Amino acid sequence: MHIDARTLPNGSVLEADLCIVGAGAAGISMALEWIGSPRKVLLLEGGGLEYEPAMQDLYRGEIVGLPYYPLQAARLHYFGGTTGHWAGFCSTLDPIDFEQREWVPHSGWPVRREELDPFYARAQPLLELGPYEYAAGDWQRRDTTLVPLPLDPRVMWTKMWQFSPPTRFGARYRDAVIGARNVYLYTHANVCELEANESLTRVDGLRVRTLDGKEHRARARYYVLACCSVQNARLLLASNRRAPAGLGNAHDLVGRFFMEHIEMPGGHLVLTASNAVNTKMYALEFGQTKARGELALSAAVQRERRILNGTVSLEPGAPGEVAKSTFQWGTPELLAAFRKWEASGRVGPPPGGLPEPPPAGSARFFHLVTRQEQAPNPDSRVMLSTARDALDMPRAKLDWRLTELERRSFRVFYEVMGRELGRSGVGRVQILDWVRRDEGTWPSTLSGGWHHMGTTRMHDNPRFGVVDANCRVHRVDNLFVAGASVYPTGGAANPTLTLVALSLRLSDHLKRTLA
Amino acid sequence: MNRRQFLDVTATSALVAGLPSAGRVTNATAGLDLRALAQPDLLSILGPETVREIGLRYRELVPSENQMQALHAAVLAARPWSSRVPWLPRPSIGEMVAADFAAGRTIVVQGWVLSAIEARQSALFSLLSD
Repeated sequence: MHIDARTLPNGSVLEADLCIVGAGAAGISMALEWIGSPRKVLLLEGGGLEYEPAMQDLYRGEIVGLPYYPLQAARLHYFGGTTGHWAGFCSTLDPIDFEQREWVPHSGWPVRREELDPFYARAQPLLELGPYEYAAGDWQRRDTTLVPLPLDPRVMWTKMWQFSPPTRFGARYRDAVIGARNVYLYTHANVCELEANESLTRVDGLRVRTLDGKEHRARARYYVLACCSVQNARLLLASNRRAPAGLGNAHDLVGRFFMEHIEMPGGHLVLTASNAVNTKMYALEFGQTKARGELALSAAVQRERRILNGTVSLEPGAPGEVAKSTFQWGTPELLAAFRKWEASGRVGPPPGGLPEPPPAGSARFFHLVTRQEQAPNPDSRVMLSTARDALDMPRAKLDWRLTELERRSFRVFYEVMGRELGRSGVGRVQILDWVRRDEGTWPSTLSGGWHHMGTTRMHDNPRFGVVDANCRVHRVDNLFVAGASVYPTGGAANPTLTLVALSLRLSDHLKRTLA
Repeated sequence: MNRRQFLDVTATSALVAGLPSAGRVTNATAGLDLRALAQPDLLSILGPETVREIGLRYRELVPSENQMQALHAAVLAARPWSSRVPWLPRPSIGEMVAADFAAGRTIVVQGWVLSAIEARQSALFSLLSD
């Protein structure tokens, strides 16, 4: 069922068993799980069913610290959320990502990778991916022309990725959600405050506002924040009527540990002429490729060199060509043009044109493009700005910070990779000049991947985490968080697959709790 | 000298210090033709212009090897002990390059991660093409 909150009489009260705030990948994944259940579910979406500039403007925020992408362009604020412009890259976190690594401060999940496996498998079809198979050998068995590079597994391995079409959750699941009798989707319903009881142990209701000046209440037995990492933190921090530091923030952790993936080119690979090196497994043709490999360092090398996780993709190119980082090529204007192009049914060529694919098998020169983990850092954080949005809610303020560990990890990756690709006879690696410097600075091309994580991190101990292993906000009995904001560390895999898996896991937990 | 150059030189000096002394090269280790050595496989990978630039840079970084004899001797000295035994097969340059990578005897020149022998071969190439 779908109701536009602007059509409700002012002061309406919406009631249900479960209230999910935010209809992006996390919120919709959860809502789908409840269709047909005896429980009444509210799904509150701040935006409409389509993109609206006025709603998007609510995501505008302040940037301090390292330069960052405009916040209102990095996330989408309408039904389907940021899946409205995501690229569909999916992979699992690695077992080492869940470990407490003594060289990575604040690392370690209260959940093991094996516990997530069944939920990863369930998340695959939601994202319209293939089978839950992420070993290079699995894909080689399916297609014998896909051959991993002859790497020493003690040093490097081929980490597989799968590609969603990409699933636009808004379009793909609109009918299912709206057609559900027990799921009530309210659009233009912006939650501005979580109202807690006096002892701050329960949420009694949500204050919901519309841009035309109406204010409603939502009440449920359980609440799930599924906005996004910036919004989840912003909403908790802004819920400060009874808790001056914000709800769930007794230990000053909400908004801290903001993480990204560092996505930048770091070097080149030239294949050896004498070898017929097959790189088909590493090729990507958007919309066609189902799975591809990227190069990753083994857990043993990460331990030995005390570095963060990361992967490197092989992008065909030409000598002398300068590869762009994610933020460089994906300008806000280009992303907006892509969104419009998709909304219009992909009429005509895509904005910016398609890259010219090199003739099959001829590519010998590749740009090496990194996607690297950021270490959890309490000083990298989302705060409240003094500026307010059109709903009178404090805007978000992002202070993105990196440490020497990210910088060193980036350099060491290329050094080890250069040796291993030379040893294996694959080719020779050239490391970009800035990567080789060890001065701790980043070039002006510094880029994330629009992957916001960590602002309501998971930890068993409330002194070190905002939510527990079940994603419940510590000491608030009926408030849960879904999305990448719960990640204690982000690994080197794009966050969507894992956040959908965690949402399914949370959904199971809530079903047991409500039963 | 900027910091990067310093690091490169430091790395190279350490590498050179770790290798058998060029002074101990005898007739028993001779046999690798200078002109053949100066035609590294890198030429087919990176092309002559890049290899020449690498060679020039290496010679700047390691002035003690900025002449043909010293470079030749250094390459010969880097051969494993078994190559000095007449009845054992001598490793090819390709095998020595692979052994360099496997043992971590690598050096970064102009950003390229190269085996120590490749870097010296590039220097020889640049000298011969000067």
